[in-house]
Amino acid sequence: MMDIIFIFATVLFFALAILYVRGCELLGKGRPHEHS
Amino acid sequence: MSANGWFQIGVFLLVIFLITKPLGAFLARVFSSEKTFLDPVLRPIERLIYRLTGIDEKHEMRWTEYAVAMLLFSSVSMALLYVLERVQKFLPLNPQKFANLEPGLAFGTAASFTTNTNWQAYSGESTMSYFTQMAGLAYHNFASAAVGIAVAVAVIRGIARKETDKLGNFWVDTTRCLLWVLLPICLVGSLVFVSQGVIQNLKPYTTVELIEPQTVQITGADGKTTAQTVTQQVIAQGPVASQEVIKEFGTNGGGFFGANSAHPFENPTPFSNFFQLVLIFAIPSALTYTLGRMTGSQRHGWAVWAAMALLFLAGVATAYWAEARGNPQLMGVNQSLTALQSGGNMEGKEVRFGIANSALFATVTTDASCGAINGQHDSFTPLGGMVPLINIMLGEVVFGGVGAGLYGIVVFVILAVFIAGLMVGRTPEYLGKKIESYDVKMAMLAILILTFTILGFSALAIIKPFGTSSISNPGPHGLSQVLYAYVSSAGNNGSAFGGLNPNTMWYNTSTAVAQLLGRFFMIIPVLAIAGSLAKKRIVPESVGTFPVTGGLFSGLLVATIVIVGALTFFPALSLGPILEHLLMAAGQSF
Repeated sequence: MMDIIFIFATVLFFALAILYVRGCELLGKGRPHEHS
Repeated sequence: MSANGWFQIGVFLLVIFLITKPLGAFLARVFSSEKTFLDPVLRPIERLIYRLTGIDEKHEMRWTEYAVAMLLFSSVSMALLYVLERVQKFLPLNPQKFANLEPGLAFGTAASFTTNTNWQAYSGESTMSYFTQMAGLAYHNFASAAVGIAVAVAVIRGIARKETDKLGNFWVDTTRCLLWVLLPICLVGSLVFVSQGVIQNLKPYTTVELIEPQTVQITGADGKTTAQTVTQQVIAQGPVASQEVIKEFGTNGGGFFGANSAHPFENPTPFSNFFQLVLIFAIPSALTYTLGRMTGSQRHGWAVWAAMALLFLAGVATAYWAEARGNPQLMGVNQSLTALQSGGNMEGKEVRFGIANSALFATVTTDASCGAINGQHDSFTPLGGMVPLINIMLGEVVFGGVGAGLYGIVVFVILAVFIAGLMVGRTPEYLGKKIESYDVKMAMLAILILTFTILGFSALAIIKPFGTSSISNPGPHGLSQVLYAYVSSAGNNGSAFGGLNPNTMWYNTSTAVAQLLGRFFMIIPVLAIAGSLAKKRIVPESVGTFPVTGGLFSGLLVATIVIVGALTFFPALSLGPILEHLLMAAGQSF
């Protein structure tokens, strides 16, 4: 039982991390272009 | 303190300085796919790996693809290590017939080695089979180090490139790091360790008769104490040398034995101790040169190196001074330095290493995210023990972990040029790239995840019985034990303060989460910065450009690191080691 919980926790963490990648990417979308 | 001690510290820094350029230039060649002297042997192996795994080495990745590849690689590696630990008694190379690890310990250890932390809530010689040590832990020592270096190289490319969204290929960077950098140097380094007496075998443990039998008091399960005479000792064996070299060169830190580098089979001689110290700083120091080389601003690379060296010297000087002073509460004990004794506070230190090399090792291992130890940090004086704590709290950017130190200090560089830009009222620039709000937001996310993790978990652990029950010393020292556990975990250092019992379900799982957050939730915004910088065009320098070379920049960078660290952690430090120091001076110990 504990094995299933820990493997699930591992998968859940990395799934959240991939969502975090997407979140960071979305934060950068639509930002104004740089001005020199 | 002695001239001899300072001489050894000076020689160490000189050696690090001397290897920075050649190793850094070699790293730049490897990651730019330029020709090296190892190509005739390694290039066919590399091509074969790509053919077998279906990797297109010409394919370049955006930062998001790079990050997802890194996450998938790490998740599969972590799950495999967990399974390996849980079934080790059914696998070969287990002469001591060690049982499978408990689920909590297996999870904590899997997270720890995947994140390059190597926090160990166990003693290797009484827990891990040779197969788990080699195929599980040593594999991660190589893989996690390669991941860190690959991310640092992607960040350097982000700074160096212009008007592109490509940062390289994660699989190619990791493979080239393993083949060209880690494996060849570790092969030679392990033989150097063998020459010093570090053991390398697969033998069952050796049982020997004691020359002088010892009588010890044993307390049974019923609480009764009986005298027992011990006539034999079991001497642990194993493939130590091959693991020792990557333990330091990959700034992993997980020892084959529980005593880590204080164990004579891991670190037998003064030379092996010196070699370990050099291995820890080698790649982190060299990567500053690689940064300069690949971005075309060698002076910037050296300015970053100088900032790191300055912080290193401040740390080692404080630790050496604090430990050499000794403990004022040991009235009547001769703690002075003589030809026959090290003097100072020798509790928890190896006599063969003395004060200087123990203080130096503690500083180096926590400046970098290594975590190997040759003495007990818990037994340092309050101020001496505060140095390792502060080193990790600063983000381990004083040379830092392999790759992690470089991409960590780039975050502070972004903040430093941002602050400089605010001061002169111009848009901040970094090597011709304009630093915009998105870059600063990502930099702050990278810094805040460490703060949130360390202080959040520490606060929870010191108010709940599941956290306080593992503390062995009351008062401020107990707080330092808990604080150190989460600082070491979130900072992916892995060294233990000592004194805390970490092998509980709470500490195994909470430190694992802290390690995972500290590693991956820092890397993701850092790669986002790299992706953002790569897209920008280069603007020419103007009179308003703040130079990222020279003493002024190095000074500003040091100030930024120290101020961010101080503002974040001073309240916790004041309740822990600083309070303990003041109480020690007043005659109270913990």
